Amino acid sequence: MLKIEGLEAEIEGKQILKGLNLEVKPGEIHAVMGPNGSGKSTLASVLAGREEYEVTAGSVDFLGKDLLDLAPEERAGEGVFLAFQYPVEIPGVSNINFIKTAVNEVREYRGLPIMETKEFMAHLKEKQKLVKLSGKLANRSVNEGFSGGEKKRNEIFQMAMLEPKLGVLDETDSGLDIDALRIVASGVNELKSRENAFVVITHYQRLLDYIVPDYVHVLYDGKIVKTGSKELALELEDKGYDWIIEEVEGKS
Amino acid sequence: MSTIALTDKDRFLINQEGQDFSHEAKTFIKIRELALKNLKGLDFPTKKLEDWKYTNTRELSKIEFRPQTAINIIKEKIDSHKIPNLDAYVLVFVNGFFVPNFSNTIEKKDGDFIVTNLNKAKKDFIKLVEPHLGFQTRSKDQFFVNLNSAFSQDGGFVYVKSKAQLDKPVHIINLVDGDLIASYPRNLIVAEKFAQAQIVVSYETIDSSFALSNAVNEVVVAEGADVKLDKIQNENTNTYHIGADFACQQKDSVFTINTVPAKAKLIRNNLNIVIDGTNSIANLFGAVCLNGKIHVDNQTYVDHAKPNCESNELYKVVVNDSATSVFNGKIYVNQIAQKTNAFQSNANILLSDDARANSKPQLEIYADDVKCSHGCTIGQFDSEALFYLKSRGIREVVAEKVLLDAFIGEVLDNIELDPVRQYVDKLIADNFNSIN
Repeated sequence: MLKIEGLEAEIEGKQILKGLNLEVKPGEIHAVMGPNGSGKSTLASVLAGREEYEVTAGSVDFLGKDLLDLAPEERAGEGVFLAFQYPVEIPGVSNINFIKTAVNEVREYRGLPIMETKEFMAHLKEKQKLVKLSGKLANRSVNEGFSGGEKKRNEIFQMAMLEPKLGVLDETDSGLDIDALRIVASGVNELKSRENAFVVITHYQRLLDYIVPDYVHVLYDGKIVKTGSKELALELEDKGYDWIIEEVEGKS
Repeated sequence: MSTIALTDKDRFLINQEGQDFSHEAKTFIKIRELALKNLKGLDFPTKKLEDWKYTNTRELSKIEFRPQTAINIIKEKIDSHKIPNLDAYVLVFVNGFFVPNFSNTIEKKDGDFIVTNLNKAKKDFIKLVEPHLGFQTRSKDQFFVNLNSAFSQDGGFVYVKSKAQLDKPVHIINLVDGDLIASYPRNLIVAEKFAQAQIVVSYETIDSSFALSNAVNEVVVAEGADVKLDKIQNENTNTYHIGADFACQQKDSVFTINTVPAKAKLIRNNLNIVIDGTNSIANLFGAVCLNGKIHVDNQTYVDHAKPNCESNELYKVVVNDSATSVFNGKIYVNQIAQKTNAFQSNANILLSDDARANSKPQLEIYADDVKCSHGCTIGQFDSEALFYLKSRGIREVVAEKVLLDAFIGEVLDNIELDPVRQYVDKLIADNFNSIN
């Protein structure tokens, strides 16, 4: 589904990704872990199409298409969803209008008919339940005045509404208490199917207690330096990243 | 023997002559005479004047505009300028002249209100008109206001008796048809004590290659009265629109004006609000979305003359193409106007490199126990918000429209009449598209 090869990217002239490889198949959950500054959020930003990041080498193939060639909105249409680490507040735009616009834009891109209000509302209610998002938030401005937990649940809610093939969760666990973490994780688990895949970017292991990954990758200095099973995450939690860094530095 | 060269102003004034106002009552002739006298000492404002620094009248001063009646006004030409689904008393003026067969006047003599044309009111309701007409515009410093006072052909007259209210809104439609037309529409709105009135004034074009619309609205807001005025300026791109709106408020009153300048070659609005009674509220809202080469200059002046009053002023501006917006908001707080609460904000978004926005808030405060705030911003749409919307599959043009609606919607929410809101929404959506 997703094949990243030799990806190099920089921001303001500073190289962050230095030849990253990653392959994700349908039905899989990949965790990408790593110390601060290793390039985790850059990876998420490059996949979503943030303009500030310049890709200088490598390729990203998504279901046979060159992802890097697509505008952010086209990527969403193709089925890539990024759950933001810091969801943006948009005063004056109601959450419900925002999500309705997004759903119909994506449907139009995918050649599906526009969702009528009744069908949309039913869909909305079902997905709100998934992340225990209060109906009251629908009429509020997007993320404005939402608590940290509400913002993250709103991200998962949007993901549920847009039904992506690949969900990229950028540090969705940061700033969440354990209850919110459980809700977010169970939302993701509900959405998981044989057809879709998730890349879960996180600094800590605790999210992976609830979203169980098939693979755990360690990102360090812009490259994936180690890949293992879910046990690797536990080892990282236990021993930190230093031993891997030493291993990598020792090799080079 | 020496010859004196005619100035642009002299030539301009000569062109305005020839209208016969002799049938008017003496008291109204006096208003015209005073204005003509004032005009002797005035001239087209130049950029040297602080308030005209950004708006040039030189071009219009050289055009041979003249008052002219329209010919062949047919129903179809008028109908397209009505606001769909707006149930209102409609008064239609073409080139400043009243068109009775397309208007619905109502004169409840012993009843609650009168909606008619000003020339008729000057004859039939002289006692209701005389105390108010020309009172707020008598000062000798505004050139264009005096032009209107001297040469105004006609306008709308809305009178609401004490404790009464209009049973539906009044829509005054001002149209221009013909070339090189100078029209001077002048509306007088009088709300007596505790009366309520909702007025929509629109300025549009039937067909014209050059036009000057020099408009004045005089609003009298008596004790406890509540007047709402929506002003829509949607003329063609050959039109110079110079408008002035005057309101004088007595105690416990509310006056709200929503200004939507959408199309013309040049638009200048001068709002003059005098809050002359305690516990009153003035609301001045402007929703400005511009494209093409239009130049729009909004000047507001709020005079807090009495204590315990409030003014809310919010102008939101989006400028595309090579259009220009000017905002100059003055708040004057008199020494005795303690406990004044004056709020002013002007936010601008520029959509293109050639778009311009000038913003100048001015506070003059002579009382010591007041709350006054003002702020202005000039920027672009929030790039983070844009990216967030796009990352959810929303195309850039749609995402920008979503942000536009949120930005300018805050102002438009003050328009209470849904059909007017829909009409204005469409004007703003059209202007959001680049036409260069």
